[in-house]
Amino acid sequence: MENQEIKVQVNHLTKRFGDLLVLDDVSFNIKKGEFVCIVGPTGCGKTTFLNLLTRLIEPTEGEILIDGEPADPKKHSISFVFQEPSAFPWLTAQQNIEYGLKIKKRPAEEIAAQTEKIISLLGLEKYRHAYPHEMSVSMEQRVVIGRAFALNPDLLLMDEPYGQMDIKMRYYLEDEVVRLWKATGSTVLFITHNLEEATYLAERVLVLTNKPAKIKANIEVDLPRPRKVSDPEFIRIRKEITEMIKWW
Amino acid sequence: MKKNRSQARDIMLSVISILLLVAVWFLVSGSRPDFFPTPMATVERFIRLIEKPIMGVSVFGHVLASLRRVMLALIASIILGIGIGLVMGWNKKVRAAINPILMALRPIPPIAWIPLIILMFGVDEFPKVLLVFIGSFFPIVMNTMSGVALVDDMYLKVGKIYKAKTWQMLRHVVFPAAMPTILAGIKIAISSGWMVVVAAEMLSSRSGLGFLINRGRDSYDVALIMVAMILIGVVGALLSAVFTLIERKMCGWMSKE
Ligand SMILES: Nc1ncnc2c1ncn2[C@@H]1O[C@H](COP(=O)(O)OP(=O)(O)OP(=O)(O)O)[C@@H](O)[C@H]1O
Ligand SMILES: [Mg+2]
Repeated sequence: MENQEIKVQVNHLTKRFGDLLVLDDVSFNIKKGEFVCIVGPTGCGKTTFLNLLTRLIEPTEGEILIDGEPADPKKHSISFVFQEPSAFPWLTAQQNIEYGLKIKKRPAEEIAAQTEKIISLLGLEKYRHAYPHEMSVSMEQRVVIGRAFALNPDLLLMDEPYGQMDIKMRYYLEDEVVRLWKATGSTVLFITHNLEEATYLAERVLVLTNKPAKIKANIEVDLPRPRKVSDPEFIRIRKEITEMIKWW
Repeated sequence: MKKNRSQARDIMLSVISILLLVAVWFLVSGSRPDFFPTPMATVERFIRLIEKPIMGVSVFGHVLASLRRVMLALIASIILGIGIGLVMGWNKKVRAAINPILMALRPIPPIAWIPLIILMFGVDEFPKVLLVFIGSFFPIVMNTMSGVALVDDMYLKVGKIYKAKTWQMLRHVVFPAAMPTILAGIKIAISSGWMVVVAAEMLSSRSGLGFLINRGRDSYDVALIMVAMILIGVVGALLSAVFTLIERKMCGWMSKE
């Protein structure tokens, strides 16, 4: 039973680029429907790890299992929100959200229903026919997040999606991603530099060391939602994470 | 409001500069009207041309004859240019194999091909269209190739994440991403093709604007030459304006300014 719950299993994952060791024997599990944040210093190998998960690059050693099988984009449904906004500029907001569904040749009714659901969850009704160049960066990133959630992915990877946004927009989008996660039941792996963001979002925070990256700590965040950044328990956990990385 | 006003100002300036050009033409032609027809004489010649066809073809027939040759050649160079450019941009090996040939052929101006083409194909319709094809193929194939090769890696990664198959990748990611560059190539091809068709028709032809120029030269009808030249300019400008509209329609998603 316990095993069935596990969505992603990372076993002894190692990645070298030539002589450069980036990931050093990393192992951990992610449960189905879990929201996990990964924090780590700049350049420690976070993006590399996500690229391994999606098989954009191959591991040097070790394996990644999704539902007990080697990770395979052909079999598993994985979505990705990149660090930089990556909406297709030639598609409108709505067409961008439909994109993954269309590529996968889902039935037309499903595409329409799912797209509507995401558009209304994101409150994008007014902007559905807008092109990315007519949007702000944060709006574009929301469209990309909508595109990723629309597929109801087994696994959703988000690589510092809010890195370029101001605090106010960030707070707003953090609530939004939690709402989408709850509504779709996806398993989310969210990378961030921002410890407060990690504490706010995650059920569990994985802290990575400096390059070559290892897992330094695994911190459960068992706080009710919506969370309050001023809650003493919230502050305690954020400080605990901060302690782990003081030497960055 | 402000935009309207600056638009009106731009139109005014265009009208003024065209009027100035006509005024200069008046002045220059005034001294030797027999040698260099006045604007009035040219307009008169144009009206006479509408009333009295040359070689049994009306003046608009001649314009259409030139346009037809350009369109035929353009269709061929768009299909072949985009097809070959797409494969070359997508596949580095194909690019390495074909690029040297293109690089060597591209600098040869279409006019330099004329003797060879006449020897091989005579002076029929086909060799003219072939010449226009030579003039319009290269900008399309080169632009398509570089447009495809330079598609942002980010978009390719997005395509891969969603497991797009190769043809889906080409159709839904690479092609639209490269579209502005491809259209820019077609635009160059149109103006270059329009120039080449006139040259091809001056060679030997019984129709087309290039033929009218030749006819004017042979019968010392300078006004006819002027009429044909102005038509070449006007139709060329119209072609490019029409294509700009198409371009805007197809690439409305591109940020302007
Ligand atoms: N394709 C590659 N070839 C060689 N080295 C690479 C490659 N990709 C990443 N690296 C190196 O691996 C290390 C980790 O890079 P990565 O992008 O995974 O870091 P990151 O944790 O995502 O950083 P950031 O916080 O800046 O996003 C860096 O030193 C980087 O230079
Ligand atoms: Mg990164």
